[in-house]
Amino acid sequence: MSASQSAVRSRAEAVQVSRTFDWMILFTLFTAVLGGYHIHYMLTGGDWDFWTDWKDRRLWVTVAPIVSITFPAAVQACLWWRYRLPIGATLSVVALMVGEWINRYMNFWGWTYFPVNICFPSNLLPGAIVLDVILMLGNSMTLTAVLGGLAYGLLFYPGNWPVIAPLHVPVEYNGMMMTLADLQGYHYVRTGTPEYIRMVEKGTLRTFGKDVAPVSAFFSGFVSIIIYFLWHFFGRWFAKTDFIADDAS
Amino acid sequence: MKIIKDKVAKLSFVALLITMTAAMFYAPTASAHGEKSQAAFMRMRTIHWFDLNWSKEEVPVNETMTISGKFLVFAGWPETVDKPEVSFLNIGIPGPVFIRAGSWIGGQLVPRSVSLELGEVYEFKVLLKARRPGDWHVHSMMNVQGGGPIIGPGKWVTITGSMSEFVNPVTTLTGQTINLETYALDNVYFWHAVWFAIAFAWLLFWIKRPLFVPRHIAVSTGKADSLISAGDKKVGMLFAVGTMVIVAASMGATNEKYPVTTPLQAGLLRGMKTYQMPEATVSVKVDDATYRVPGRAMQMTLTITNNGDSAVRLGEFNTAGVRFLDPAVHEDETAYPDDLLAEEGLTVSDNSPLAPGETRTVEVTASDAAWEVYRLADLIYDPDSRFAGLLFFWDENGNRQLVTVDAPLIPTFI
Repeated sequence: MSASQSAVRSRAEAVQVSRTFDWMILFTLFTAVLGGYHIHYMLTGGDWDFWTDWKDRRLWVTVAPIVSITFPAAVQACLWWRYRLPIGATLSVVALMVGEWINRYMNFWGWTYFPVNICFPSNLLPGAIVLDVILMLGNSMTLTAVLGGLAYGLLFYPGNWPVIAPLHVPVEYNGMMMTLADLQGYHYVRTGTPEYIRMVEKGTLRTFGKDVAPVSAFFSGFVSIIIYFLWHFFGRWFAKTDFIADDAS
Repeated sequence: MKIIKDKVAKLSFVALLITMTAAMFYAPTASAHGEKSQAAFMRMRTIHWFDLNWSKEEVPVNETMTISGKFLVFAGWPETVDKPEVSFLNIGIPGPVFIRAGSWIGGQLVPRSVSLELGEVYEFKVLLKARRPGDWHVHSMMNVQGGGPIIGPGKWVTITGSMSEFVNPVTTLTGQTINLETYALDNVYFWHAVWFAIAFAWLLFWIKRPLFVPRHIAVSTGKADSLISAGDKKVGMLFAVGTMVIVAASMGATNEKYPVTTPLQAGLLRGMKTYQMPEATVSVKVDDATYRVPGRAMQMTLTITNNGDSAVRLGEFNTAGVRFLDPAVHEDETAYPDDLLAEEGLTVSDNSPLAPGETRTVEVTASDAAWEVYRLADLIYDPDSRFAGLLFFWDENGNRQLVTVDAPLIPTFI
């Protein structure tokens, strides 16, 4: 076979090879995103995502969407503008959460025996699905950043509330009131995570009484818009073909 | 020749793989907490733990034990470590092998951080409930914001039984008694499973069709719009609206199911009750102090004055949790960890009773392998080469008094 001859001999074979490529690329993309996104999120979200006694109404709500909209925006940029595939955000977040669940179950529980009910990951999937659909329907980076970024921030807290609410039931313990999540953090000893490291309920947002979570979510949504733009451009830059072709597009 | 080189290269690669694989199978349990690696000056000049007691050496799962004692927040706290204005009484154990059922400083529960005063002594107690069987090194520990973990003495404790039998019952303010070990776990799995299912459905909707090669060709040839059909958009709308409806409905249902919830609690506890040690009537001046590297011995020249009304003798020098005793004066009866106890490690040139009003200059030698084993000798490589510790004197009636010492240390290498 010479270099000018095709590697496939029929359309059926071409389709088969194409699908094989699909699965290979999808698997590679999934695992690469899982690794990269996981490291990124653990470094930037870290303890806010690890422990229930960090998941507060202010900083967790604010920080988690801002630092997690990064890879979804970048992968969307690649998959949408190159392939018109509106799955970048969902694929990224599924990869992240699969990685997180492996980590929490194998490491946090399997190695160090923290109960899973103290160290489960945050749920980022509702925001990711909406982000993908907005990109598909609007076919616009600006619209996705503004509407999608805002929705990503706003959906985070209500999307997690059904999971964390039972752990916010109060308990009286030796004369002090705390939530069950606080009690988990106290009971299950973390030698390297003393209580003062927790960044919960800190800040100057005091004029909204107990209804601080929606305000935090709005703020998170606004910042997520900016971060979306930034990482969308990162994604576009990485999706260039300059590295492999002379006639780069 | 090339064939031989190739074979050697291949075999080397195989050997490397085998070595790496073998290394993966050897993963011994980590049983220490880096207590020996912490800078010696930090252990000697920050928190001095004493009168420690581990109530049990063996404890079955679900049973409790306590660590109790006192700690002195050293007045000569090093400048290179932040002051203990925000601190947390912790326990050095390898993960939650025990749960911390309670911890108290001066009788006050301290689930939160506390502010400590330099030069004060505090009494503490930690109640631990056994959870995971094994032999565990259990340390007292104080985390200091800006200073890091300051680990105290550790003792081996054995937990027997089965972890599957461990329960952690808690009664909430809404009157429900739950097992915190497994509480709400089904709920966590359920909601994550629901959202994973929805996300996988969305992904499956797209990846079941040809993906990268044909779609890239279409986009490159200007036919990108043909790749998203009206049906795709309808399905997308369904997913977006469905997502928002599920989020709203689940939140509403959760609020109905859990009408009473409170925010996470946080704060700093100030004004902790201190422990009043008996007033010291002995004063000690350190004339000089040297550490003899080859002999693993620290020698101090002390000028001791007894201002009390009863003769006293020096019985113990305690630094970084290592206790050097003069058995003629004091013997340990608390089953203190062997590796931290030099039962005959303290020698005083003249340890006859120091009469009231008398001043005497003595050579005090604290020698034991613990200097090396606990890497306290590394003090000479620290940025602030001073030593510090607690001296305990006993009078004729068995009363004890505590005096702190803090002075420069000069190493001798010959």
